Amino acid sequence: MRKLLSVLLMLALVIALVPAAFAEETPEPITLTYFYGAPGDQPTADNKIYKLIEEEFGIKFELEFLAGDLDEKLGLMCQDLDDLPDLFDGGNSAEKLIDYGALINLLDYVNPEDTPNIWAHIEPQLNRIITKDEITGEDVMYIIPNYGLPEGEQIVNEVNGPAFFIQKQVLAWAGYPEIHTLDEYFDLIEAFIAENPTNPDGVPYVGFDILTEDWRRFCMINPVQHLMGRPNDGEVLVDITKDDYPTETFINQPYAKPYYKKLNEEFHKGIISPDTFVMSYDQYIAQLSTGIVLGMFDQTWDFGDATNALKTDEKYENTYVALGLIYDEDDVEGLLPDGWTIEEHYVNGSLPNLDRGAGISVSCKYPERIVAMWEKLLSPEWAMIMNWGIEGEDYSVNEEGRLTMSKEQFANTTNNEWRKANKAYAIWDSSPKRQGWIMEGEFAGQCWEPGNQPENVFGQMNDYDKDFLEHYGYKKFADFVNPPIELAPYGEAWQINKDPISKDYNDFLQIQDTQLPQVIMAPEGEFDAKWDAFVEAINPSCEIYSEFMHEEILKLVAAYYGEEEAA
Amino acid sequence: MTDMARGADRCRAPKKKGFFSTLASQWQLALMSVPVFLYVLLFNYFPLWGWINAFKDYGNRKLVARGITPFCGLNNFKWLFSRPDFFQAIRNTLAMSVINLVFGTVAAILLAVLLNEVRQRAFKRTVQTVTYLPHFLSMVIIVAMAQNIFASNGPVNDILAVLGLKPVFWLGEGKYFWWLVGIINVWKEVGWSTIIYISAMTSIDPSLYEAAAIDGAGRFQKILHVTLPGIKSTFVILLIMNIGHLMEAGFEIQYLLGNGLTAAYSRTIDIFVLEYGTQQMDFGVATAAGIFKSAVAIILLVGANFISRRLGEDTLI
Repeated sequence: MRKLLSVLLMLALVIALVPAAFAEETPEPITLTYFYGAPGDQPTADNKIYKLIEEEFGIKFELEFLAGDLDEKLGLMCQDLDDLPDLFDGGNSAEKLIDYGALINLLDYVNPEDTPNIWAHIEPQLNRIITKDEITGEDVMYIIPNYGLPEGEQIVNEVNGPAFFIQKQVLAWAGYPEIHTLDEYFDLIEAFIAENPTNPDGVPYVGFDILTEDWRRFCMINPVQHLMGRPNDGEVLVDITKDDYPTETFINQPYAKPYYKKLNEEFHKGIISPDTFVMSYDQYIAQLSTGIVLGMFDQTWDFGDATNALKTDEKYENTYVALGLIYDEDDVEGLLPDGWTIEEHYVNGSLPNLDRGAGISVSCKYPERIVAMWEKLLSPEWAMIMNWGIEGEDYSVNEEGRLTMSKEQFANTTNNEWRKANKAYAIWDSSPKRQGWIMEGEFAGQCWEPGNQPENVFGQMNDYDKDFLEHYGYKKFADFVNPPIELAPYGEAWQINKDPISKDYNDFLQIQDTQLPQVIMAPEGEFDAKWDAFVEAINPSCEIYSEFMHEEILKLVAAYYGEEEAA
Repeated sequence: MTDMARGADRCRAPKKKGFFSTLASQWQLALMSVPVFLYVLLFNYFPLWGWINAFKDYGNRKLVARGITPFCGLNNFKWLFSRPDFFQAIRNTLAMSVINLVFGTVAAILLAVLLNEVRQRAFKRTVQTVTYLPHFLSMVIIVAMAQNIFASNGPVNDILAVLGLKPVFWLGEGKYFWWLVGIINVWKEVGWSTIIYISAMTSIDPSLYEAAAIDGAGRFQKILHVTLPGIKSTFVILLIMNIGHLMEAGFEIQYLLGNGLTAAYSRTIDIFVLEYGTQQMDFGVATAAGIFKSAVAIILLVGANFISRRLGEDTLI
């Protein structure tokens, strides 16, 4: 009996193995290490998307998230180029990886024949994405931009970048006025605080916050260019109407003074608290999340956690609207550069997120496998899996063929706990991805990302927001600012890599860190003296920086037009 | 050779025993010290090879990527010493170190003496535990607490308001920064540093106290003439060791508590190295600053040791 049983078992085993032997050859399973240059959560061990990736591509990822200082970490990792993670997302400092020769040139693997999906994805912005190596002169592409290559007409449902923000309740309280200038903005906040010094719980309102921690100092030093009617060029003002693109740092110019003068006045009126200059980012987010901060200059993504917290608490009246403020002509009379006109320009045409995303390290043994994975991730089926999830579980298709999500499914997409098990966020975030409108196939005319799908944007909007927009007669929150304006040929100057002058650049930033808050908090009557001292101190590094940026901008412009002529 | 000479020879023999025969006779001790010896060699001496980076140019990152780091002589040192903010960083480091050392030591000895006088065991133990608990907290947490306590609407300013004083912008004015760091460090470490003094006090011969009592000494006089002299040697050794660490005022607390407004007072050498060296991947400058720090630390240590010897106290080396 026992013998028979074992023979039967044996037979069963053989039968079970036969199909496996004849089955389609799946790629040899490999494990790749992957460094992600931002803090994050490890996915759960049974994460469904990572499981699918493993089944389809035979690639298992060992993820390492950033802990500590990014620049320091990258610097130390690059000291040993033989022992790098296979896949590398340098986050906000990815250009350092390129400088250090840590990444391979993807053009060895990416071309129109072998990787049609990737090529079609990058083709519209090829002359920005493919650059020339300064030393060897060969064409290079180290990183496929992770964002900013959408298909179809640009989707701007809300302002995602820089703006002056104001709580919705302030606008509602004032009867939904249109706010366009700095004076109107601060007058409104002052009036609101005069009547409502504290929130319903008795906590005093904070009029205007200025975040200054580390690189987030942009909240303090960037606004002037926007008030002058330029999009985010980092710390320089570029005159794009002139052929030679005159470039200057704006922080030391006469037209910057009115803004800081205004902040100084607001400081003395108590609208700006001195605490804002000693606040860490965490404290800032915590303060915003309580709903007591009425306004600030920032970028939408920078306080997403606070917005989410306010939404979770259903404090919709405390969430923010992005306003595109500009200088009033009287403010800057006689201070503008020659022939300068101010027109509001906060939102740009879409721009590939250059040098941001994952690159393959020089120590990776399977670069072709990763490129093949990216190629596949850009296919319609995988783009749906990465963006929307699994049909039936994460979304469904209704009778009219529309992609829909239930209230719960849509809430899941912003629920961090759920995402750990059901989203391959780190891979999605740093890989090239389909965004914008689906142009062909069964879902044509719908959106690649659930967050943009009209049914989700408008159908799932809370009642407060709906009512709020109705008062203004707007359809979406992006209607508060001008529609996107096409980019200058050089893109946005903040993307330029400042490493060649990194020490001077650091000086430039340090002087602003230490002296600008003192200018803003200058005692009455001392503002002019403090401002003059600041300008004098920063002028030398401004000169070096402006000159460097001007050269780089001209290089980018030349590359942009050069490629176009050749093509 | 005369008999006497032979006798003298024989007498001297044990002293003149060679290195190897000493080693052989003490092989157990030698064996036990092997791990420590290896540790020091591996982690303290072997990395000295990296000092060579201080004389290399890491300025052009594209060249560095191709493994080209040309020697540049003393350029990195020259750059460092051309920066006024490097001297500012040295000043800040030394100032905060000295404040920490003086406050920390005085507070620790004071608390140790007070605890030593407490006769009720339970109370003594409780105070000891409570005071050394903060030592185990991360600096991140301590600084977050300090930021709330010293905020312009925090408890400290509330107390000032009750007393009818004007609120103070503690975290945003450079002139308070060193003292804040001193206070926070004392609060965090006082209990921990007390332990070593208390243990030194317990080893004082009780008969000295009895003798002092017979001579009519009161409690205060016993502290002054028995307890304090009893811990003097511990104090001196710790002082010499701490002086060797004067160039390290800590990094975390200044990095976390500092901000743009206080940068001129909060930037220590370590932070300067982080900002202009490591973060810019300029390991030349970073190493040069490290060498400078070590050199100053050695001078300070040897100097303190020398002074201590001249004063007839214990020495470390």
